[in-house]
Amino acid sequence: MPENVTFTIDGQTLEARPGDTILQAALAAGIYIPYLCYFPNMKPYGACRTCVVETESNGRKMTVASCTANPMPDMVVDTKNEAVSDLRRGVIELLMSEHPHGCLTCHRIELCGPQDVCQRHVDVTDRCTICPKNERCELKDTVRSVELDLRTPLNYNRRDLPIHADDPLYDRDYNLCIVCARCVRVCDEVRGDAALTLVERSGVSLVGTSHGTSLMESGCEFCGACIDVCPTGALVERDYKWEKAKTQVTTVCTNCPVGCEMVAEVNRFDKVIRFRGNVDGPANRGQACFKGKFGYDYPNSKSRLRRAYARQDGVVRDIDLDAAYATAAERLASYASDEVAVIGAPRGSNEDLYAAQKFARVALGTNNVDAGLNIVPELLERIDTRWDGLDTDQSIWDIEDSDSILVVCANPTEAQNVLAVPVKRAARNGSRLVVVDPRETELTRYADVWLRPRFGTEHWLVMGIVRAVVDGAREDAKFIDARVDEFDALKATLWEYDLRRVAQVCGVAVSDIAEAAATLSLGSAMSVLLGTDQPADSDNRRKLVDAVMNLKLVTGSVGGAGNGLYSLYEGGNGAGARLTGCAPLHADTGRIESLCEAWGSTPPDVQGLDVLSIFDAMRGGQVKAAVIFADGLALQEEAYGDVTAALSNLEYLVVASLFDSPITQHADLVFPATAYTEATATATNIEMRVQLLRQAWKPRSDQRTGWQTLTGIAAAMGVEGFNFTDAESVFNELIETVDALSGCSYDYLNTASFLVHRDVATESTRLRFEVFNPDFDKAPGGNDLFLAQGRLLHQPDREITLGQRNHLNVIDRVEEIMMHRDDARKHGISDGEFVKISNADGAPSLAGRANVNGGVSGMVFATTLFAELGTFMEECESPDPAPLVPQLAIRSVKIEATSDLTP
Amino acid sequence: MVSTIDISVEEQETEAESQIDLAFREIRERANDHWRGLTEGDVPWFKVGFGASGQAAGAQDVYDELIASPQFRNGKFALSKVGTRGLMYLEPLLEVKSPGGNSVIHANVSPTIASEIVTGYTEGDGSAPLHETAIARIGKKDARTQNLTRWRDLPINRLQTKVLTRNFGVIDPHDLLQYVANGGYTALHRALASKSQAEVLDEVKASGLRGRGGAAFPTGLKWSFLAPSDAPIKYVLCNCEEGDPGAFNDKGILESDPHLLLEGLILNGYATRSTHGVIFIRQGHDLPIDATREAIDQAYEYGLLGTNILDSDFSFEAEVSLTGDSYVAGEETAMMEAIEGKRSTPRFKPPFPAAAGLWQKPTNINNVKTLAYVPGIVKDGADAFKATGTESSSGTALVCLTGDVARPGLYEVAMGVTIRTVLEEIGGGPAAGSERIKVLQTGGPLGGVMGEEAFDTEIDFDEMAKVGCILGSGGIIVGDEKTDIVDLIRNLVAFNQFESCGKCFPCRLGNTHMLDVLDRMCKSEARPGDLDLLEKVGTNMKVGSLCGHGQLGYNPISSAMAYFEDEFRQRFEGELSPSGSQGDGIMLMPSRTRPVGQGR
Repeated sequence: MPENVTFTIDGQTLEARPGDTILQAALAAGIYIPYLCYFPNMKPYGACRTCVVETESNGRKMTVASCTANPMPDMVVDTKNEAVSDLRRGVIELLMSEHPHGCLTCHRIELCGPQDVCQRHVDVTDRCTICPKNERCELKDTVRSVELDLRTPLNYNRRDLPIHADDPLYDRDYNLCIVCARCVRVCDEVRGDAALTLVERSGVSLVGTSHGTSLMESGCEFCGACIDVCPTGALVERDYKWEKAKTQVTTVCTNCPVGCEMVAEVNRFDKVIRFRGNVDGPANRGQACFKGKFGYDYPNSKSRLRRAYARQDGVVRDIDLDAAYATAAERLASYASDEVAVIGAPRGSNEDLYAAQKFARVALGTNNVDAGLNIVPELLERIDTRWDGLDTDQSIWDIEDSDSILVVCANPTEAQNVLAVPVKRAARNGSRLVVVDPRETELTRYADVWLRPRFGTEHWLVMGIVRAVVDGAREDAKFIDARVDEFDALKATLWEYDLRRVAQVCGVAVSDIAEAAATLSLGSAMSVLLGTDQPADSDNRRKLVDAVMNLKLVTGSVGGAGNGLYSLYEGGNGAGARLTGCAPLHADTGRIESLCEAWGSTPPDVQGLDVLSIFDAMRGGQVKAAVIFADGLALQEEAYGDVTAALSNLEYLVVASLFDSPITQHADLVFPATAYTEATATATNIEMRVQLLRQAWKPRSDQRTGWQTLTGIAAAMGVEGFNFTDAESVFNELIETVDALSGCSYDYLNTASFLVHRDVATESTRLRFEVFNPDFDKAPGGNDLFLAQGRLLHQPDREITLGQRNHLNVIDRVEEIMMHRDDARKHGISDGEFVKISNADGAPSLAGRANVNGGVSGMVFATTLFAELGTFMEECESPDPAPLVPQLAIRSVKIEATSDLTP
Repeated sequence: MVSTIDISVEEQETEAESQIDLAFREIRERANDHWRGLTEGDVPWFKVGFGASGQAAGAQDVYDELIASPQFRNGKFALSKVGTRGLMYLEPLLEVKSPGGNSVIHANVSPTIASEIVTGYTEGDGSAPLHETAIARIGKKDARTQNLTRWRDLPINRLQTKVLTRNFGVIDPHDLLQYVANGGYTALHRALASKSQAEVLDEVKASGLRGRGGAAFPTGLKWSFLAPSDAPIKYVLCNCEEGDPGAFNDKGILESDPHLLLEGLILNGYATRSTHGVIFIRQGHDLPIDATREAIDQAYEYGLLGTNILDSDFSFEAEVSLTGDSYVAGEETAMMEAIEGKRSTPRFKPPFPAAAGLWQKPTNINNVKTLAYVPGIVKDGADAFKATGTESSSGTALVCLTGDVARPGLYEVAMGVTIRTVLEEIGGGPAAGSERIKVLQTGGPLGGVMGEEAFDTEIDFDEMAKVGCILGSGGIIVGDEKTDIVDLIRNLVAFNQFESCGKCFPCRLGNTHMLDVLDRMCKSEARPGDLDLLEKVGTNMKVGSLCGHGQLGYNPISSAMAYFEDEFRQRFEGELSPSGSQGDGIMLMPSRTRPVGQGR
C-alpha cells in the first residue's frame, strides 16, 4: 500500500494521497493554483502552464507544472513567488492575445452590463459582457487571479472565425477557444468517442471535429461532456444560452436507471436553465447523456398542468383539490379489489412509489400495482428469486475491472448512456467484450466477438456458449464444486445443445460461439449487462435470464469486483419500485408480509398483475378503474399493446401528470403533478444507490407530488396510515419497513449517497444451475420477418450527406437495408432496389436501398446514425422529449419494393 | 555424478558458442566471396555516388547512361550504387575499381563523361590515359595513376577522421554482404558469442559516448536506465526525424550505410535486454526510408534479426516507422506518440521513457549517429574510441556544411577541431562571390547563430555550449557578409513557429508573437519596447514550455543579440538593413499564423 506524501506548500504542510499531483493535493487542501487544462477525472495534460510552481527537493530548485508533477517527501513548493507569478502572468498575457479580453483586464469587469458605454472603446465582440459564459467563466476567474496589466505590448489577434451553430443542441464559437483540449480529451479519454480532435498546429492549432465534418457525422453522442469541461464560452448549450443562474441545486436525473447526479442551474424566474453532470457524482463521475443533459427543462414548460380537472361526458372542468380527492375516493372505493390497479411513474421517487403501493394494498386492497416501465418483469424478478442480492450490487465503474464483459440484448449507449462509458473504457483498456444482439449498436463496434442471433433465439445461443465453455473444459470446477448444485443436470442438458444445431437455429457461426466462450472464460472477472430488448415471449425471456446466470455460474464469475450482473431495466427509478414494493408482489413473498406487518393490516391474498397484465386486463374488462402516475410514462413500447383500447375501456381513470398527454385524454380525473425540480425526494439507481433530489422551487398552484395526491385520496376514503406530512416522513416510514435501508436518512443523504445493503450471498450460500431443454422445434420461422434496426455513432464506411432543416444539419441519406437472399427472393426484391419497411399494423417505418448479400434469414437489418437522436432532442415538439426518444425495438415488419423513397 | 553434469554443461556451452560462430562464419564467407568477386573479378567495378547529394547533382542520369551502355549489357563492367563520400561539391562522383588493381575517383561526372570513362576502361588494353575528371586514386600507384593523389591525402580528407563514414561511398548500402565483407556485424557476432549484455553496456559506458541528438546525454548511462527492467517487452528507438534545415548526417548514414545503424540498434537492444527496435524516419525522406527498410529485410533474411539472432538466445525485432510531417515528432515523447499513431505532441515527464515509453513500455531513444558509433566501440573497444576527440566529448563529430562556403558537404572530424579549421581547411572558406564568413547557424533552427569571434571554438559539446550554441544535429549553415541577421533570425523563428506542435501555450503563442515582432523588424516597423517583449516572451518560453522546442525557442534571438547586437538594434533606429533582403519582410519561410484582424 503506497503511503501518503507529506510536503510543504506555501508554508503549509500537506498530505497528498499516493499518485496525486501537486495541483490535486493543493486543490484538495483549498490552496488555489491557477490552472486551465487540468480537469478532474482526466489524465494530466500539461499544456497551459498556468499552474507552474517552484519546487525545491533535495536542494534542487525547479519550475514545474504542478498538474503533472507529483510531490516528493519533504518537497517545498512555492506557488506565489515572483518568478512563478511573472511566468504565469506572461503565459496568460500570451493567451489573452487571442482571446477577447477587453473586460478581462478591466477593473470595471463586475460593474458593466452588456448595454453600458465602454470608456475604453473596446469592441463589443471583445467584451465579456456579451459572452454567454459571462459570470460563470472559468477562464475569467483564472485570469483575474493573476492580475493582468491593462496594457500589453502583444498584438491582439482575434480569430474572426464563423460560429458553428448548425448542429443540434449546442453552439461552438472557436473565437473563444483557448485550445486547452479539455473537450478533446474528455471526448476521447472519458467517453471513448473521439468526435473532437485538435486540428492544425502551432499558432493556428484549434479544436475541431474528427474528420473536419459536422458533429452529426463526427461520431458525437451529444452527451455534452465537452460543454461541461469547457473553461470558456467556446462550447455552450444553445437553449438558455444567455441565461444567468441564480442558484444551483444538486439533484439526480431520473430519465434512466443510472441515476446521474446533476447540478441544475436555476434562474431568478424559477426555471431550470442548465443541467450538468456533477464531477463528484458517485454514479456518473461528471458524465451525462443526450437525454439528461438536454432533456431536463420540461419543468419549465408553459403547458404544465396547474389545476386538477375532471372530465364528465367529454366536458372538462377545473375542480379544486379537495373535491377531486373526494370524487376519486368515492369512485375508487366502489370497485372490488381485483377491479382496480395502480401504476407508478417511471420517474417517481421512492416516496411516491412507496405511497402508491401502500395505497393499492391498504386503501384498495389489491396487489395490482407496478412501476410503469417494468416491461420485462422477468429480468429483475428472476435474478431476485435465484440470487437474492448478487446482481447489480456493484458500482457501474467496477465494469472497468472486468476481464471480460458480456452484453446481451442491451443498448446502453442509448438507454442507459453513462453505463456504456465504463464498458467502452474497459474495452479500450483491454477487457474483452462479447455482444449478443441482432442490432448493430455502438458496443458492437467495440466487441471482440459480436454474435448476431436470429431474433427469439438468444437464450439458446447463450446456452450454446455455456456448452462451448464446458466443451473446452473452461468451467471453473473449483467454484462449481464448492458453491453450485445441479452441475450434472446441466451437463446432461447441455448434451442437447449441439453447437452445430444451435448455430444453425441462431444463425451464427459455430466458431464464433466457441470464440465467445473462450473470450468470456479468459479471465476471472466477468461483468454481464442484460437488457430489456428481448423476445416477446415471456417464457423465452425467463430462459434467457436463466441461461445468462448459468453462464456466470459455470465460469465462476459470481460476487467480487468486476463480476457484476447488471440488469438494464428501464425507467429511472425501477430499482426504487422494487425496493419500496411497488410491484405485484404476492402475499407469500416475505417482502409483502413485512410491509403489511409494519402497517398492521392483512395483505391482499392474491397474486397481483404486473403492468403489462394490467393493460391486458383493462382491455379484457377485468380491471375497471386505475390510478396512473404518468411522469416519464410514454407508453410507446409495443409491449403494452393497444393502449388506447385499454384506457378507453376503463370505467374510471385517475391520472397524475405534468402535461396533458395521450393518457390524460382518457382520464376522468387529472391531478397536476410535480416534476423533479419541485419536490425533495429520493431515488434509487441501478447500483441500488439511494440519492437525494432537491427541491429547486415550490410547486405552483395545485401541483402535488404522488404521495401527496394519494394521501389526499386516502384521507377522503377514510383510510388510516396516510398521515404523511412531508417527503421525509414517507421516507422514514419506508426505512422502517425495509431492513436494507437501516441507517439511511435525509440527513445522511444530504451529505452522501446511500448504498442499499443487500444480503450479499456469502461464501456458504448454495447456488444452482437452472436447466431447460432446448425446444428447437419452436424456433422462429415461417413468414415472419423481423427488423433489427441498429444505430451507430460513426459510420466511416458509409457516405453521409447532410441536409438542412430549420438552419440545422440533419442526416440525409439513403439507408441500407440488409436482408438475406432467401427473404429477398420470397418478397420479390432484388439487390439495390428501393424497399419500404412498414410495421405489422401498416405504419411506415423505414425506407432504403436493399442489400441482399448478407444477413440472416428471417431478419432485416438497417443501421442508422446516432446523430438523428440529437436532431430528435432538438426538434421534438413535446416539452419532455427524453421518454419519447425512439428506441431500437426489434419488431415484426413487412417489406416491399418501392419506387418512392419518401416514407 | 557432479563431474558428469559439469561436463555436459561445458559441452553445451561450447556447442552454443560454436553455433553462433558457425552461423556468422557462413555469412562472412559468403560476403568475402562476394566482395572478391566485385573487387578482384575480371571486369572493372563502377560505383556511382547515389546519396541524396549525388542524385541532386544528376547521379541518376549518370547511372542510367551507364546501365544502358552496350558495354554494361555485354558484361564489360560491374555497376553499383553507393552512398556519398561526403564531398558533395564534387558530386556526381564515380569511382572505378580496376580488376585486382586500384580505384580512381572521378568528380562532377556527367552522362557524356561517364560514357567516355567507360570507353577508356573497356576498350583497348586498359592503358588508355585517365579521363580528365579523375581527381584521386585509392590503393597503390600504378602506371596510369602515378600523377594522382591518394584519396585520403587530399587536404580535405586529411583533416577528417572517418569513423562513421568509413564505408560511405565504398560499399553498396543495399547489400548486406558488402557491409559484412568490410567488417560489418563483427561487433554483433563478438557480442553475442563472447560478451555478456552487461559487458557490452560497460563498454559503451567506458567509451564516454554522448548522445548526438543534441542533449549530449551520456549514452551508457541512458542505456543503464533501461537495462535493469524485467518487462517482457522493451523498446529501443532510433530517432531519424532530422528535420533541421541544413542537417543531413543522420539521413546520410541511413542512405550510405544503413547496416551500421542497424547493427548499433541490435547491440543497443542486446545491451539493454530489449525486444523491439523501431527506426523512426521523417516521412518523405525516401532514400533513407527505402535503404533502412531494405537493410532490415536483409538482416532478417540472414538471421541477424528476429528470433535467436545468429542462433544465440537473443531475439530482437526491428521495423521502420514514419513521422507525420512534423518537426516536433523528433522530440522523444512526441515521437512515441507518433509511433502509436497519435498526434505527435510531447508528453510531460516524468514518467521518463525508461519507465513508461512507447506503448507505456520501458523505452530508450537514441540518435542515429549515437547508435552508429556502437559497433565500432564493441568491436575495437572503448579505448580505441576514446583515442579520438576530447576529454569530455569523445569520438568524432559529423558536420554538415552548407551555405556560402566553397566546399559544402558531409564531413567527419575529431572532436576538438576548431570551427575555423572546419570552415577554412575543409570547407575551403567563403564561396565564390563571398568575401568573408559572417555568421554560422549551428545545431538546427533551435540552436542559434555565432559570429566570427566564436569561430575558434573547438567542436565539443561543452565548448560549444559556452559560446551559446549547440552542436545539435551537426548542421552548420554558413552565411557571408551579405547575410542580414534579422532576416536570418526571422527565418529561424518562422521555422520554429511553423513547426510548433501547438500543445503548450508558451510555445504555441510565444513563437507566434516573436515572429510577429521579427516581421515588424524586417519591415523596419519595430516599436520601442519590442526587444524587451522578445526577451520577456522568450524567457517565459524557456522556463515555461513543455518540451525542448519551446524551451530552446529563444536561442536564435539570444545568440543573435550576443553576437550581432548592433545590427539588431539598428532596426529600431529606422535604418534599412545594409544588405540582404532590404527589410521587405518577404520571406521564404511559411508560418502558421492567422492574418491580423483589420484595425485591431
